[in-house]
Amino acid sequence: SRLVMRKARTGGDDEAVRQNGSSSRRRADQHQGDGEDHDSSSGGVQDDDDDNDLGLRREIRSKYRDLINSVQQNREDMLSPSNNKLTEVLEEANKLFKDVRQAREAALDAQLLVVATDLGKEKASQLFSEGSAFDPTAFAEHLLSFMGLNRLEDEDDEPPNGCAGDGYLPKDAWHRLARKAECCFRTAPSFHYMMGSFYTEPPPPKQRIERQRKAPSKEAKRIMPTQLKKIEESHQEATEKEVERILGYLKSYYQDDPSPISYYEFVIDPNSFSRTVENIFHTSFLIRDGLARLKLDSDKLPCIEPVEEGEVEAAGSFSRKQCIVSISPKIWRVSSFELQLQILFRHNHEM
Amino acid sequence: MTQRKRLSNVQSSSQSKRQSNSFMTQEEDEDATFTQPSTSQVQRGLEKLTPAQVDQKTAEVVQYILVKDQKKIPVRRADLVKHVVKDYRTVYPEIIKRAMRTFEQVFGLKLVEIDSKNHMYVLVNNLDASTARPSPVERPSNPKMGLLFVILSVIFMKGGVVRENLIWNTLKKLRVDPGQRHEEFGDVRKVITDEFVRQRYLEYVRIPHTEPVEYEFRWGQRSDMEVSKAQILEFMGQLHEQDPRSWTQQYREVHSAAAASSSQASSSSNHR
Repeated sequence: SRLVMRKARTGGDDEAVRQNGSSSRRRADQHQGDGEDHDSSSGGVQDDDDDNDLGLRREIRSKYRDLINSVQQNREDMLSPSNNKLTEVLEEANKLFKDVRQAREAALDAQLLVVATDLGKEKASQLFSEGSAFDPTAFAEHLLSFMGLNRLEDEDDEPPNGCAGDGYLPKDAWHRLARKAECCFRTAPSFHYMMGSFYTEPPPPKQRIERQRKAPSKEAKRIMPTQLKKIEESHQEATEKEVERILGYLKSYYQDDPSPISYYEFVIDPNSFSRTVENIFHTSFLIRDGLARLKLDSDKLPCIEPVEEGEVEAAGSFSRKQCIVSISPKIWRVSSFELQLQILFRHNHEM
Repeated sequence: MTQRKRLSNVQSSSQSKRQSNSFMTQEEDEDATFTQPSTSQVQRGLEKLTPAQVDQKTAEVVQYILVKDQKKIPVRRADLVKHVVKDYRTVYPEIIKRAMRTFEQVFGLKLVEIDSKNHMYVLVNNLDASTARPSPVERPSNPKMGLLFVILSVIFMKGGVVRENLIWNTLKKLRVDPGQRHEEFGDVRKVITDEFVRQRYLEYVRIPHTEPVEYEFRWGQRSDMEVSKAQILEFMGQLHEQDPRSWTQQYREVHSAAAASSSQASSSSNHR
């Protein structure tokens, strides 16, 4: 009985709807089939008729939904000026509306109208627009060609992209399009550091550099020594010869006069400063090798004497002292003059 | 608490403004506490700062924007003030003016306010790409730009607004299916409806009274700045082997747009 009461209430709404429906688009014919008349005043409703009616309501609603879906799914198809599908939909809707009794169905009808009129509006705008219509399908086809679609059909293999099935796009298809599209964009290039961020850990290349450095130095060493040796050899030979010569002089002087010889008298060449320096240089080798000995005489002046051959090895055990001898051209001039005077004086003295 | 603290630094004129906007969100409130200082306020602010300080702050702003622009997401004025400008907000107009000049003279870029209501900036290339010779530097192309180009072209050729299904169906013909993961683009739907929208290349707006919910696509504010409709039409002509003028409505729009953009360029320099 509750169900009946609810139906009775909705019956009242339906009545209003039906009246509205009849005043707007078209006459709402009385539903002939089951002979039901939902008068708000009538309380009695047959159960059998309710079930039939329920089924019919559902059917109507379902049909409306189908119509709405078909319009939405096939929108582009319906937009095409080549067919009258939109008109067919509206005619179908008209037929359905005759059976509309309840608010729910009417709402669906309204929804269909919204969808259909929207489509109609777009169709109309197409009609009145000047110039060529733009067809997205044709656009897509042209784009595929531009992107390098390979239309050769390989009957053996499946095309890698499932959908359309005729041909496949190369890997760089979208890159190709992007490059072409660049001319349409005024995009600011993205800011990135050229060299990237720096690392705080010491970089491995350090070792590589060291290795590289070592290699050339080895080669250089290899080249160098052969040259140097020659030079050193020549120098060594000359020096050795000179040292031996001076040792000879020292020994012969000592033989004549076995007293220590004044060092300065020995090395100074009154006629040449450079010769003097060379004498000092060569004499130092004698001292170093223990072949000659320097000592201070009673006047605290240095004098030199050869070391006996027997003493040479023993000389090595003596505590060695180092001294630096310096001479300048001035000193040499004064000294050589004094020496010459001395020699003269001695000479005269001896005589 | 901190907001009230900040307010004490701002001039009294803006305080009354804040009182009138008492029901705003946190973000908007921050922006509103930053009201554009008057020229006299800017002058006074500049007097307290050394030229070196202003230059330094300008350089920071330039660097911030350059880095933010990497993702192509617009820079919000509120973020700029909060994170970079900070205490220098009294001289903000001067700093922005200098930053714009730096972008133009040093980088050949243009800092443009694409949204004068929400105060958002983007960087656009000041050089005309169509007339420029190909770049001597080999830059890898971004395939997403190809995808965006297709969508923008369809929208433009269809009068400026299209229902989303038209885009999805067109893309399906190009082997791009929003329902499937794409080799090049990944989640196609996300790239188009989220990434491109956040970057302001596209607008994805719900159509009212639609059941199930349907959306429509329009050009975004960044596209209005960055993309040349004339060039698109030119490419259309080449692709379809048609004279661009055969699309009369679009052609007309391109040429009136050219007139509008030149006036737009001059109006954007008044960034108030």
